[in-house]
Amino acid sequence: MAVTEEPGKPRNWSERIQALQDRVYSAIFHNYVWQSVFRSGYPNTPRNQMLVVATNVFLHLHPTRIHKTHVKITHTYCLGGLTFFMFLVLTVTGILLMFYYVPSVERAYQDIAALETNVKFGLLMRNMHRWTAHAMVILVFLHMMRVFYTGAYKPPREFNWVVGVILLVLTLVLSFTGYLLPWDQLALWAVTVGHGIGGSAPYFGDETQLIVFGGFEIGPNALIRFYTLHVIALPLIAAIFMAVHFWRIRRDGGMARPL
Amino acid sequence: MAVDAQRPTARAATTSRPRPKREREEEVLVWPDLVFIEFIAAVLFTITFLILSVMINAPLLNRANPDVTPNPSKAPWYFLNLQELLLHMDKAWAGVLLPTIALGFFASIPYIDRSRGGQGVWFGTKYSVRLAVVAAVYTVFVLGLLVAFDAGEDSRFEYATRWVPSCDNAAEHAGLPCLKDQEGAAHTGFITMKDISKRLQFSIPFPKIFGTSAGDIEEGSGDEVLTKDGWLDWPEDVDKIPVPFNNFSCCYGSLHLWEGMNLNLASIMAEQVLPLLTIAFFTILILYALFRIGWLRTKRDVFIVMFTAVVTIYFALSLVGSFFRGEAQALIWPWEVKVDEG
Ligand code: HEM
Repeated sequence: MAVTEEPGKPRNWSERIQALQDRVYSAIFHNYVWQSVFRSGYPNTPRNQMLVVATNVFLHLHPTRIHKTHVKITHTYCLGGLTFFMFLVLTVTGILLMFYYVPSVERAYQDIAALETNVKFGLLMRNMHRWTAHAMVILVFLHMMRVFYTGAYKPPREFNWVVGVILLVLTLVLSFTGYLLPWDQLALWAVTVGHGIGGSAPYFGDETQLIVFGGFEIGPNALIRFYTLHVIALPLIAAIFMAVHFWRIRRDGGMARPL
Repeated sequence: MAVDAQRPTARAATTSRPRPKREREEEVLVWPDLVFIEFIAAVLFTITFLILSVMINAPLLNRANPDVTPNPSKAPWYFLNLQELLLHMDKAWAGVLLPTIALGFFASIPYIDRSRGGQGVWFGTKYSVRLAVVAAVYTVFVLGLLVAFDAGEDSRFEYATRWVPSCDNAAEHAGLPCLKDQEGAAHTGFITMKDISKRLQFSIPFPKIFGTSAGDIEEGSGDEVLTKDGWLDWPEDVDKIPVPFNNFSCCYGSLHLWEGMNLNLASIMAEQVLPLLTIAFFTILILYALFRIGWLRTKRDVFIVMFTAVVTIYFALSLVGSFFRGEAQALIWPWEVKVDEG
């Protein structure tokens, strides 16, 4: 009776291979260093799977359980999540770009040109930053459309929809402030068009131009303002609103579904 | 403790925030079901953008030069729609007021459509799919018409209005409606709506009003009020209508915003009233038509039409700006687009 439960020697080949696998597995995942980093092994029971989501700093943005209709790809097309992922990629590539870029009229263009030719993977980083920025603008619109057409703005999610509208504006402004930084003809004149649009605000046109663009034409003031907004102020504000956005999804009882 | 105990009642008294009930057996675990999908999506996007970035380089033109203006100069694509609107109406409306209204409209949707039905599923009302499709197609169609209509020299509309005579520059009063042409240039019809204030002229007999006598007022000072000679000339007589109290200066000086302000009725008509009426007209037309057919039944339906229209306008006008605007913002075909970078 007790024979099978005894952890005796493996008797056939498949058991031997199994034993070897187990030893390799624990050599990798149960050693002293690994266990100092990850406090528990792979979460292979439902209880541990919930614990890992609830206690891991990166995963705890999620609830531990989610309604089964919401993991269907066609419900969200992952659009909000991908918007957020673009934000993360932009942060990483953006930090790398900051290493090489000085926001002065004398140096900006030169730095970008040098980044493309002299820096290993510099061109790749710049391209990634550019294309994911465009993608984020498109994705945030698509996300808004999916939220609208699934009626997910309805009570109790009214305010989270408003937070979303703020995030939409922030995304557009983030993208626009970045547009000036390469200080090439495309950047200068595109932002000049935006400068003109800002200046057409009734009553506050001049103030808008002075405060946002630092003058009545695009020059060094505009460059340093856009840079500061682009690398610090706006990402910080956007991150705060995203935190609120994600938190509210959970406070509002998870994502919307038929009542 | 007492405070805590009271909270639920106080809450319920104001509004109850609906939350779907949680049925555990209908739920799945975030790890692995959701985390796995997120991981795959992130990997796919990373790979896609790595490949894209290897293949296509971000643009870098010549160093910025304030003395050399590229023709055309274009805003980034997500603001090209505003730049397109600028061509057709007053710049404050195109660049600031309409976008603000659009954002305010978005933000207000959940506060106006407070119904709870149909949430959490795609296209929750009976006709919502066709409403969205009709709204998108209609918007593209109307925008196409309007852009072609307000298109400039080569447009059909210009051709169709050439019969409006050229103005006689020597005449003191224009009389019947006519279009002013540049000295020596060939006669053209209406090139844009803005011609209504810039080139259109006509005059109608009009009693002297506001009791202004020519003697009191310096000629050309901008203080003349409407008609002093028994004729109302468009646009000269209506382009400087003083706002009431615009010269009101007493103890506090010029505190109010309209100090010294005159209204240019001609351009208000051409660049504000007519464009906005056009927008209102086409909006009401589609809403009314859909209502009459019986497809439009709830506030949600109205919002589906309007939201779809606003998003369509946003993207369609960006496309027009990107691919159909050439030198000096003339309307052209995509294969003719070329940029003079200077
Ligand atoms: C930077 C921009 C944004 C990010 C990173 C973001 C992220 C997310 C994520 C990850 C979700 C979870 C569900 C999903 O993936 O669809 C979500 C849901 C939601 N988002 Fe966003 N979002 C952004 C912008 C917006 C905008 C522009 C709106 C609307 C105007 C919006 C309104 C909502 C609402 C109402 C929900 C709840 C949806 C539901 O309950 O089904 N968000 N957002």
